[in-house]
Amino acid sequence: MSYAYLFKYIIIGDTGVGKSCLLLQFTDKRFQPVHDLTIGVEFGARMITIDGKQIKLQIWDTAGQESFRSITRSYYRGAAGALLVYDITRRDTFNHLTTWLEDARQHSNSNMVIMLIGNKSDLEARRDVKKEEGEAFAREHGLIFMETSAKTAANVEEAFINTAKEIYQKIQDGVFDINNEANGIKIGPQHSPSNPNMPSPAGGGSQGGGCC
Amino acid sequence: MNPRLQYGLLRVDKNRVRMAKDYYGYRPDIATDCYDTRTDRCGLLRHVIKPVYGAQHPPIQAMPKGEEKPRGNKRDAFHDFENNTSDAWDDGEDDLLYMANIQMSLKDVRSTAKAVIDNHSRSVNAHNNRLAPKGPQGQYTAIPSATSTHGAGPGVGIRLNSGWQPPKTTPIRFQKEQVPDREAAKLEKFRSVLAGPNTDLDELKKLSWSGIPRAVRPTAWKILSGYLPASMDRRDPTLQRKRNEYFGFIEQYYDTRHQELHQDTFRQILKDIPRMTSLAHLFQQKVVQEIFERILYIWAIRHPASGYVQGINDLVTPFFVVFLSEYIDNDVESENCDLSSLPEETLKIIEADSYWCTSKLLDGIQDNYTFAQPGIQMKVNALKELVKRIDVPLHRHLEEHGVEYLQFSFRWMNNLLMREIPLRCTIRLWDTYQSETNGFADFHLYMCAAFLVRFSKDIQREVDFQGILMYLQNLPTHHWRNEDIGELLAEAFKLKYMFADAPNHLSKKS
Repeated sequence: MSYAYLFKYIIIGDTGVGKSCLLLQFTDKRFQPVHDLTIGVEFGARMITIDGKQIKLQIWDTAGQESFRSITRSYYRGAAGALLVYDITRRDTFNHLTTWLEDARQHSNSNMVIMLIGNKSDLEARRDVKKEEGEAFAREHGLIFMETSAKTAANVEEAFINTAKEIYQKIQDGVFDINNEANGIKIGPQHSPSNPNMPSPAGGGSQGGGCC
Repeated sequence: MNPRLQYGLLRVDKNRVRMAKDYYGYRPDIATDCYDTRTDRCGLLRHVIKPVYGAQHPPIQAMPKGEEKPRGNKRDAFHDFENNTSDAWDDGEDDLLYMANIQMSLKDVRSTAKAVIDNHSRSVNAHNNRLAPKGPQGQYTAIPSATSTHGAGPGVGIRLNSGWQPPKTTPIRFQKEQVPDREAAKLEKFRSVLAGPNTDLDELKKLSWSGIPRAVRPTAWKILSGYLPASMDRRDPTLQRKRNEYFGFIEQYYDTRHQELHQDTFRQILKDIPRMTSLAHLFQQKVVQEIFERILYIWAIRHPASGYVQGINDLVTPFFVVFLSEYIDNDVESENCDLSSLPEETLKIIEADSYWCTSKLLDGIQDNYTFAQPGIQMKVNALKELVKRIDVPLHRHLEEHGVEYLQFSFRWMNNLLMREIPLRCTIRLWDTYQSETNGFADFHLYMCAAFLVRFSKDIQREVDFQGILMYLQNLPTHHWRNEDIGELLAEAFKLKYMFADAPNHLSKKS
């Protein structure tokens, strides 16, 4: 299918915070209460529209367990957006955010847009991390923030789409070098020839390249 | 240079594989001629010794990333390969002649197989019809139609836009055993090998390579894994001692699970077990969860070099299910069995035996789970080298679209294909793995290559990165039976035969 841009995402965060469920809700619009553990990385994709333009999202969902870190780290490079997820009912997953953020910043390109997500907002009764705390953390570290529920789908679309909007804005502002695929952005194959300002990406119609 | 090798390699191999496909499953004697006890034949992966760090306790200095070996001279590599395999090809001639001689029996095999399959589908239908009203949401899953390639597969089966589907459980068996004569004869052979005062291990491996009958599988697996001694006299005392030893571990270590040092490990295990979907019904039972918690925790703290790594949990399941099958009525699917009805003593036996056999298995693939998972990285690389040689168009297709082998085969290695095929197929697969030297490490690699190539055409039909990845993540294996595994094992064996003598050839990076 044709698209104007392709953005690559990575989803990170502690084990069991709902990364795979968020992705499944976003790509398939369904919730799986028992979701098998993610081993290494798994892949998902969906098309969205921003500013009247078709944008393809390719998303790497990573395993949260520390043991897989050496594998999952290689997926930071080449990602334009990251969803950093914690579980609002488990404070330890919030406490680990700093480590995750350091890891992400160290291994990604400096312009990567990071969306902080407090997931499981449907479990209000078991809430262990206040919304204000999430907001404060995001403010302090320059992230976008949302609370979501993969179960009820609340804010799930928005989380993925707002991240894309931010990336799109950065492209408009000329912050991203869109000719460098390592930034996790690709121009759609049919769009480059019609626009002299957008040189054809290397490899023509072929997908991917690099690690993801 | 041997011209046969130069041009005939793939062609000859295809013939052999095709023939092998036709009867491997039914001719254990042929299959096992192939069983090779010489360890150097499986040396593909064994030469590299890496430092061992706990997966969760990395070394202070980061490991160097992707140590690039200097690129070898291709012509030399091929020359080595030729030298190393030329005798294999001579052997192959005999094999071919032998195969030609048994063509006659193929007809019998085919007709028997057809009869068996027909019987199976009839009894399955009857079985499902009988059970269907009892289960909520298709708990008793019928064989999915062969056309539903997008079902919630034995893997994760997600992220295809096929609408909501409840997670399915796959029956371990499709049907009540219909035992044709051939199967009965096989069972008899097993019984006599197992009943002797001293089980001939080579004989047992030969028999087991092409599949172990359900009735003798628990005992055969315990012997093959090295848990149960070959000597009949020593079996009972050994079992007694090992079971006591395991429960000694629990007494000694299990209380440490809440200590600061170990609580992360235990929490991870606690989180993971209810999320195991291979036998969803079973893993929702508290008694099963607790058994797995103990097995995994004890193993983890006794193996600090790796600790508990996700995926290891899956590896306990086949042992657990097979050992459980000894104690439940043949007609009850283990997945639907309520374990609280079993005596505590029985559950303890199953638990201890599962622990020891899993532990033996893991001994052979420990570097899959140590820091940075070098065993997996090595195997993924070897898989790439292998496929590059046996299926050039497929390899090119993957490369052209920027698909990396690590992206799809990491899970194949980490979970020994358990996420990709139904549990009953894994059990069949392990009959063979346990009959091979280093089956879970070396032979698994060849199996993965055969597995990938099996989908070669379908993968090449996908026109972009996304399509390929999605397909590889949701391979249509939900309906697979033992026969599908048998075919792949025959192909894997051929690959081993071709390549295991040429480890250097494969390890060359290019």
